[in-house]
Amino acid sequence: MATMQMDRSDRSRLWEVTSRTIVYAAIGAALYGVLGLFSFLLPGTQNVTIRPAFAIVTFFGYAFGPIVGLFAGFVGNAIIDQLQGSGFLTYWNWSLANGLAGLVAGLAPLYLAAYMAGNISRRAIGGAIAGGVAAIIGFLFVFSDIWVGGSSPQTVLTGSYVPVVIADLIAAVILTPVLVYAWEPMKDQLGR
Amino acid sequence: MNIAPRFLGRGSWLSRRDPRVLVIVVVFFIFATIQVWDARLVFLLLVLAFAWYRSAAIPFSAVRRNWIFALSFVTILVLLNSVLTGERVPGAEHRYFNIPLLGTPVSAESLSYAASQWMRYIAMVAIGFPVAFCVAPADFGVTFARLGIPEKFAFGVDLTFRFLPSLAADYQQTIDAQRVRGYDPTGGKGGPVFRLKRMIPILTPLTVNAIAGAEDTIDAMDLRGFGTGKRTWLRHLRFDRTDGLIIAGFGALLVAVTVAGYVTTSSRIWVPQFLIDLASR
Amino acid sequence: MTSTAAPLLEVERLTFRYRRATEPAIRDLSLTLAAGEVLLVAGPSGCGKSTLIRAINGLIPHAYPGELSGSVRIDGRATTDLKLRDIGRTVGTVLQDPAKQIVGATVEAELAFGPENLGVAREEIRARIDRVVGRAGIQELVGRDTAALSGGERQLVATAGTLMMEPRLYVVDEPLANLDPATAERLLLLLRELADRGDAVLIVEHRVEEALDLRPDRVLYLDEGRERYHGPLDGFLRIADPDAVKLPFEVVLERVRAGARTAGDRRPAADLERPVDRSEPARLEFRGVRAGYGGTDVLRGVDARLERRETVAVLGPNGSGKTTLFRTAMHLLPVTAGDVLVDGTSIAGRGVADLATVFGYVFQSPSQMLFARTVREELVFGPRNLGRDPKTFDAIVEDALRRTALDGVEGILERPPLTLSFGQQKRLALAIALALEPPTLILDEPSAGQDHRTSSGFMREVLAVPGLESLYLVTHDVDLALTHADRILLFRDGEVVADGPPTAVIEDEARWIACNLRPTSLLRANVRWRVANGRFLSAEALAQRIVASDRGRAHAQEGRS
Ligand SMILES: Nc1ncnc2c1ncn2[C@@H]1O[C@H](COP(=O)(O)OP(=O)(O)OP(=O)(O)O)[C@@H](O)[C@H]1O
Ligand SMILES: Nc1ncnc2c1ncn2[C@@H]1O[C@H](COP(=O)(O)OP(=O)(O)OP(=O)(O)O)[C@@H](O)[C@H]1O
Ligand SMILES: [Mg+2]
Ligand SMILES: [Mg+2]
Repeated sequence: MATMQMDRSDRSRLWEVTSRTIVYAAIGAALYGVLGLFSFLLPGTQNVTIRPAFAIVTFFGYAFGPIVGLFAGFVGNAIIDQLQGSGFLTYWNWSLANGLAGLVAGLAPLYLAAYMAGNISRRAIGGAIAGGVAAIIGFLFVFSDIWVGGSSPQTVLTGSYVPVVIADLIAAVILTPVLVYAWEPMKDQLGR
Repeated sequence: MNIAPRFLGRGSWLSRRDPRVLVIVVVFFIFATIQVWDARLVFLLLVLAFAWYRSAAIPFSAVRRNWIFALSFVTILVLLNSVLTGERVPGAEHRYFNIPLLGTPVSAESLSYAASQWMRYIAMVAIGFPVAFCVAPADFGVTFARLGIPEKFAFGVDLTFRFLPSLAADYQQTIDAQRVRGYDPTGGKGGPVFRLKRMIPILTPLTVNAIAGAEDTIDAMDLRGFGTGKRTWLRHLRFDRTDGLIIAGFGALLVAVTVAGYVTTSSRIWVPQFLIDLASR
Repeated sequence: MTSTAAPLLEVERLTFRYRRATEPAIRDLSLTLAAGEVLLVAGPSGCGKSTLIRAINGLIPHAYPGELSGSVRIDGRATTDLKLRDIGRTVGTVLQDPAKQIVGATVEAELAFGPENLGVAREEIRARIDRVVGRAGIQELVGRDTAALSGGERQLVATAGTLMMEPRLYVVDEPLANLDPATAERLLLLLRELADRGDAVLIVEHRVEEALDLRPDRVLYLDEGRERYHGPLDGFLRIADPDAVKLPFEVVLERVRAGARTAGDRRPAADLERPVDRSEPARLEFRGVRAGYGGTDVLRGVDARLERRETVAVLGPNGSGKTTLFRTAMHLLPVTAGDVLVDGTSIAGRGVADLATVFGYVFQSPSQMLFARTVREELVFGPRNLGRDPKTFDAIVEDALRRTALDGVEGILERPPLTLSFGQQKRLALAIALALEPPTLILDEPSAGQDHRTSSGFMREVLAVPGLESLYLVTHDVDLALTHADRILLFRDGEVVADGPPTAVIEDEARWIACNLRPTSLLRANVRWRVANGRFLSAEALAQRIVASDRGRAHAQEGRS
């Protein structure tokens, strides 16, 4: 009778794509879509809106890895555009910026290993840091508007980058740890 | 709460195209438009975009709000850019006045630039609309798969659409459950941090339940062999003659515009004479 | 090949411990299943039923790591040597929650999913869809979006998705939960047909009474991961604990006759005789209420009175508008015509939070509202929102926990709510509602998702809440409704089709069946014996009365002779 010992808690599998990756990615994207759509009711600065749902992207990246984060951000944002009527790809560079933010949050093990190995409050702090870093770095991609839309760097900086980073950074820093706190205790009861 | 994609263009000429055509056209067109600044040419592109949009036969009443949103979004963006930046045309400048406080000049050149920029954006929006309303929702995954996106991710897009309505229903139920406990999703005053914190009772259960529920979905996919080999897509996509011609046409447009950018002034701002005259008066 | 001689499924001394668990979830289980056989697996919540299923369909060990010993052989080949993809061709699984198992946005996409993944040719997939749709009898569902299906329709589509893989062994995990009784029967018939055709079926279900429609060849009863009984059905019915699984009434009666002690009906008898005073204003009154979503009316002119002191059960098919009815009562949904009155005055000007102090609303799925870091935080959320004095919070929390029997759980105040078991979460949801001290409780599907023991325990806690004036239930559990309610509202297509005491409402059996309900064995028995003048008794109580009156009659006869 074969006795099998299997343990796959290997943290280095950052880039593995299993059905788990795809399902989490799709759930992240759909959640971002649903919550993002509704938060449009709260208009913020000129062309950028406060999107508490952005924390979904950073949390999914942080908790489930860069691929999940990338997909959730990219597809989630594209879906919001799609449902609002601009089409899946019209603002592709903004979707990609969201995706990159998720990706950066998912790379946290590379730059926050110390935090992620700690207890739950350390991991929550790690989530806040990863969320903040993700917003700052990911949205750098909106500077592609200089090329795509012909806006000046100054316009992109003051009209898009700074407002979106501030709004989303606040959302990510406050809400990502909240989600980490809610999710961590459940993790041990589920999963494989 | 209805947040499913709306297939408004059902039955139109465009909806009978292979959905890949719609996506390819958007990509070709956007990359062509990005290279053009001459308002006369941009106007032609705008006309082309609207011809394309018209062929989708999307009833205007159903998308009025989407248009208002897109138009105001683009207009604000362009205004902001003009106000902050002013003219960006090297060489002669025909100034009307400076904006108070900021001191940004308003000139024949900056107006031309703004007009061009505005038309470019609107053209891109118009060409994108059919993707939103003229692709059968069920066709998304296969469209991306057959465009070369890895199959797992292409299916992920389908799966996202599958989760949307059920998560929207869960969202509604969570709001209800919290309102019964005296939670008011809109009430109270406070800054952004307060408003973010007010999201916690909604965001948390919705997210955690969705993740916990994913376990069964993952099992169901593994059990039916997801991602273990090349998959068939039940929906069979095939380009017909018209599709081929359309792609060739837009491809030619992209090439032509790219070449024109080197050999003509198409990528530079064109300032109409009457605007210049206006400044010299 | 030896596989022709080997049974379809052979499980030998199987033990499995999940990676993160300290104890094995199943221990030393052995069973075999041949083509054409049906095995029923029953047992209380958490006894390892789903784990056994995962071991059979190969998720253990291919997807769930842990410590495994013993073997599972499909067609004579060990699952450890097979790929998940190949096991899937022989073993078809229908998971516990169909809403989660469905991955396609349309019915057709869902059916095609499995064969698509296996690279089956397009024409073959089309042909299979035609065959499966016919066999499952879901012609009218083709072309629909899966999101728009009712719970029962979803279960049928999920099962059909498994049929598409053309397996020879079906494992089905608690398919009956959340189904209205008529749909449940339809599903069981489909499974029976598969077995008659020569496939094997393993079904997990604790609604044993219903599962008997499947005529299982054998029963495996599990408790705490171990085999407690394994053998023919009648033997099982002789030993099964009626407290833990729901048995047909005849079996309960037999057992009581034989002198077996059952836990009995612990329902406080005093509650039964609540005087209904029709002169005082009703707690909740609907007058010609119409309401719906996005322009279509779900409630189509509802008139009903729910009194201040009574227990009312609302029954009806999936999607008939039962939940919607109480959403309008809580002002969560505006009415488009008519009026809702609470204690005689219209709710038009009242807010949701205000109504929450009258009605404690316990939603079907408790986890949908749990968000706080600790149970304590969770409990004070409501009182804080309503501006109650923070000094009273400790007392409120303690009181609510005591009234729901949660105070016995160790370290309950500091527990993260989502780590509680489903049954405990359900109680916590009740405690949350009670924290606002409402005189009336509204329970949506109080028994769904729990085993028989937990759900009867839950109802006992509810009935024992001091100071509770009225209780309104929405449920698919016919026995639960009949035994608890003073009055039944029968719902269909957004209208009240019957309103009266249980005995009156069930008289018209055609109407009962038209509402997708079915006459349960307990219902029939209550009608037949009519021992409790117009009231319905639980199986145990009725059986005891019958036995007692039999004895009484026997005594009387002895005396006379
Ligand atoms: N993924 C997992 N990781 C760790 N432990 C698990 C996992 N899944 C289940 N368990 C534990 O294994 C035991 C058996 O669970 P299982 O789901 O098989 O029970 P069940 O009989 O199907 O219960 P129910 O009737 O509630 O569905 C339980 O104690 C459960 O907590
Ligand atoms: N938020 C909503 N938006 C749109 N339609 C809805 C919504 N909630 C319910 N419905 C529809 O209203 C109808 C009645 O739903 P309701 O939930 O009241 O049924 P129910 O009798 O409680 O069913 P069940 O027994 O399955 O819980 C259904 O057809 C349902 O699809
Ligand atoms: Mg189970
Ligand atoms: Mg309901």
